[in-house]
Amino acid sequence: MTALMLHLALLLAMPPLLLGIITRTKAWFAGRKGPPLWQPYLDLWKLLHKGAVYSRTTTWIFRAGPIVTLAAVLTAGLLTPLGAAAAPFGFSGDVILFAYLLALGRFFTMAAALDTGSSFEGMGASREAAFSALAEPALFLALAIVCIPAGSVSFAEAWASPWQTWGPAHPALPAAAVTLFAVLLAENSRIPVDDPTTHLELTMIHEVMVLDHGGPDFAFVLYGSAIKLFLFASLLVHMVFPIPPAGGALGATVFVAGAAAVAVLVGIVESVTARIRLLRVPQLLVGASVIAALGLAVILYRGIP
Amino acid sequence: MTGYADLLLLAVLVLDLYVVYTSRLAGCVRASALQGAALALLPVVHYLESPSADLVHVLVMAASALALKAIVIPHLLMRALRDANVRRDVEPFVSLHLSVLLAGVLIGLSFWLATVLALPASGHTHLFVPTAFATFLIGFLVLVSRRKAITQVIGYLLIENGAYVFGQSLAAQMPFVVELGLLLDLLVGVIVMGIVILQINREFDHMDVDQLNLLKG
Amino acid sequence: MFQPAMLLIVVLALPAAGAVLCLLLRSTRAVLALLTTGVLAAGLAAAGLAAAVFGSGPLRAIGGWLFVDALSAYHLVLLALVFSLSTVFAGGYFRHGTHALELRTARRFGALWFGSLAAMTLVLVSNHLGLMWVGIESTTLVTTFLIGLHRSRESLEATWKYLVICSVGIAIAFMGMLLVGASATRALPVPSDAMLWTRLREVAPRLDSAPLKIGFLFLLVGYGTKVGLAPMHTWLPDAHSQAPAPVSAIFSGVMLNTALYCIIRYIPVVEAATGGTGWSLRLLALFGVVSMVVAAAFILFQRDAKRMLAYCSVEHLGIIAVGLGLGGLGTFAALFHAANHSLAKTTGFFCAGRLGQIYGTHEMRSLRGTLRAAPLWGVGLLLGLLALIGVVPSGTFASELLTVKAAVDKRSVVVLVGFLVAAGAVFIGMFGHAMAMAWGKPPREGMAEETSFLERAVVMLPLALLAILGLWMPQPLRDILQQAAAVVRPEP
Repeated sequence: MTALMLHLALLLAMPPLLLGIITRTKAWFAGRKGPPLWQPYLDLWKLLHKGAVYSRTTTWIFRAGPIVTLAAVLTAGLLTPLGAAAAPFGFSGDVILFAYLLALGRFFTMAAALDTGSSFEGMGASREAAFSALAEPALFLALAIVCIPAGSVSFAEAWASPWQTWGPAHPALPAAAVTLFAVLLAENSRIPVDDPTTHLELTMIHEVMVLDHGGPDFAFVLYGSAIKLFLFASLLVHMVFPIPPAGGALGATVFVAGAAAVAVLVGIVESVTARIRLLRVPQLLVGASVIAALGLAVILYRGIP
Repeated sequence: MTGYADLLLLAVLVLDLYVVYTSRLAGCVRASALQGAALALLPVVHYLESPSADLVHVLVMAASALALKAIVIPHLLMRALRDANVRRDVEPFVSLHLSVLLAGVLIGLSFWLATVLALPASGHTHLFVPTAFATFLIGFLVLVSRRKAITQVIGYLLIENGAYVFGQSLAAQMPFVVELGLLLDLLVGVIVMGIVILQINREFDHMDVDQLNLLKG
Repeated sequence: MFQPAMLLIVVLALPAAGAVLCLLLRSTRAVLALLTTGVLAAGLAAAGLAAAVFGSGPLRAIGGWLFVDALSAYHLVLLALVFSLSTVFAGGYFRHGTHALELRTARRFGALWFGSLAAMTLVLVSNHLGLMWVGIESTTLVTTFLIGLHRSRESLEATWKYLVICSVGIAIAFMGMLLVGASATRALPVPSDAMLWTRLREVAPRLDSAPLKIGFLFLLVGYGTKVGLAPMHTWLPDAHSQAPAPVSAIFSGVMLNTALYCIIRYIPVVEAATGGTGWSLRLLALFGVVSMVVAAAFILFQRDAKRMLAYCSVEHLGIIAVGLGLGGLGTFAALFHAANHSLAKTTGFFCAGRLGQIYGTHEMRSLRGTLRAAPLWGVGLLLGLLALIGVVPSGTFASELLTVKAAVDKRSVVVLVGFLVAAGAVFIGMFGHAMAMAWGKPPREGMAEETSFLERAVVMLPLALLAILGLWMPQPLRDILQQAAAVVRPEP
């Protein structure tokens, strides 16, 4: 029971904090002081109290988009290990369900964007479709690197103790971590793939899809994307940090610290790199897939114990 | 501890792919410098795993490889790049995406070759042979599919790196002298190539080996 | 107490010292003089060493790292002979016109010349496979600058091709060498032994055949690049045609043979390890036949005299490879052919080079009436080309005949047919050119220049030797060849 409470608390409360950490890190790099760490919470509060305007050209898809996305992401969050190996729901194959829940959310975001009937949003939807198509193999290869040595497609078993599977998978885990980080940047629209603060047509991907949402819808969108970032970060943390499988207080502490570290890393990467040309994004994603493929080849070549 | 050599070798493979992928000459040179640094650490890691060879031998090997492959040779190549007033692009015959794909195929081929060869493995790590063959073959790919003379030198560097990795896997047999001979040969070879490249650039005013076709038949 | 084994060190140290000395001299004449004396002295040392080995068996030095048996001694004698002839010729060649050497170039030439002699000697006397590899790589690096001695666009292009192709080939050979060493991990518990040829030869039947075979393939391709076996021969015509004549002479005369020697060293080891099935021999013969056919195809359309001679080298090294690949009598014939080819090719390059200087071009269309215009060189070229085609009475005819006989004995139809077709095509191609160059009208009158006694000796001596060898094989030579061939046979 306490595990379930802890899991829900982390899932619901922590994601906006990550956004705050990222913004704060970027501000520090830029020499500014930056907004307080809990600013995203205040933003969400503010947005929830606003009214919404719906265009006459839109249909129920436009209204459903943010809601379904948030629901999908929250459901995925119930599958992901946060601070302990076992999530509230776990079964064989939940790794794959996780990936496709995120895809479902993405699909509805794109559908809502197309539903507006504006070519601006449509452009964002097409870009998003192209890039996520390339990010998916990278994601699966990275997940495979952890799942194959563990011999199971379930978070509970595969992510139980990556440090024990470090034996045979040792050189491959950094490869998986690098690939997963690249997918994190791509899926969550971070520099160098996409600039979350820009509003220039040339450079928008995710931002442009949600341009027309306002008020509570935008709050859902913002919250959903924060949770998505949090989920990717949690996978990364579990791969890299020594979290005891049983969880408990120690597990939660290490996990929170790790997630914050990932957020800081994202902030650093956003500050020191420039956004790459749109033509280069496929190369980045393919490169990430190749690195993961190499790691997988290493595992297969050395044999699975 | 056992995995660190494999980690270095994986880095070598990734750098191979980067050399094939990048379209900037300076990027190629820097990647080969990083690869040299990774290779220089290999004997150290090997020693940490199985302290059989003597420490002095290992340290001298590592230091000379580091100095040569990661510092001196890239410096020479960058100097040659700057002195020869050419465009800093790679100019491949085969498109870069296709080259990366070919490189991937070659890596797969070397893994297969390694299983066919079934050499007695040295120590605990098994990635030496595939990495050696992969780097060797990718060096060939770079040599053959690029137009600039400097990329041919980089291809030659990769080939020699592959041979070096293979020599590391047979560390017991390889006497000190031969390994140093290999490094020295690499240094002198690159110096000679650099000199000839500069001569070519002065005579022909370009570095495009595709246009070196006065002698035919 | 004078030990013959000390000659092993002398024969290496002399050229090395000469190389350093050359850089300190003050006049071109001094450099050329030092070259002549140094090379002749090293040649005498080599001859003495060879005599000791033929008489009383193999010699070792430096704890077994240096080793000379009949095969090495035979090649050392060839090396000494060709280098001496070429050095004497170079003395005359570099005095004329555009090829006259100024001091800096002369010093560079001298140092590189001695350096290449030292490197090739190192290859021939080393027992340690790694040292042999270092020697071959050094020959590449040292001779690179010899090709581009007189800088021009064409010579730079030839230099670059030579450098890259041969360096890559040698890197491939390194991998092969490592694989051979890896195949010995089980048979030779003391790891440092695995690179010594004598030890490998002893334990050959116990080597791992999978890595050994793949290693031999790498070695064949890698060292074969340096030999000029097709399809790795693409550097050869450019390098030989652009280099100055003495340099082309040592390339064709000894450097190719030295690279082939490296391959020959591995044959008995591989054969003993694979149970004497002839796997490596068949591969070598295959490359030989392909080289002959490719060379024949290109010779038919040649316009440049030195390029034609270069392709001719590819063909003849192919003949030697075929002979080695046939085994038995073929090995004897191949080794005999090495000597004949070296003699004929050096004469050919000397004469073609001098004629090029006199006429101002190497195009065969312009080299007409050489018998009248420059009698010594014209006769030399004609007779040299005839010897290379294999016209009686020359040693090349004898050795080629022996090779054909070996092919017939072994019933290798493919090899026989390929050999005859290629040799026939080369005959047709080169004969026509030889005749056209010898007779016809020279472009202008009064082209003949005074030839010194040395120049006459340098041309006539090899030709005379070839004629003698074509008619009569002296018993000592037969013994020497049989001793050398015995080294290559797989039976212990």
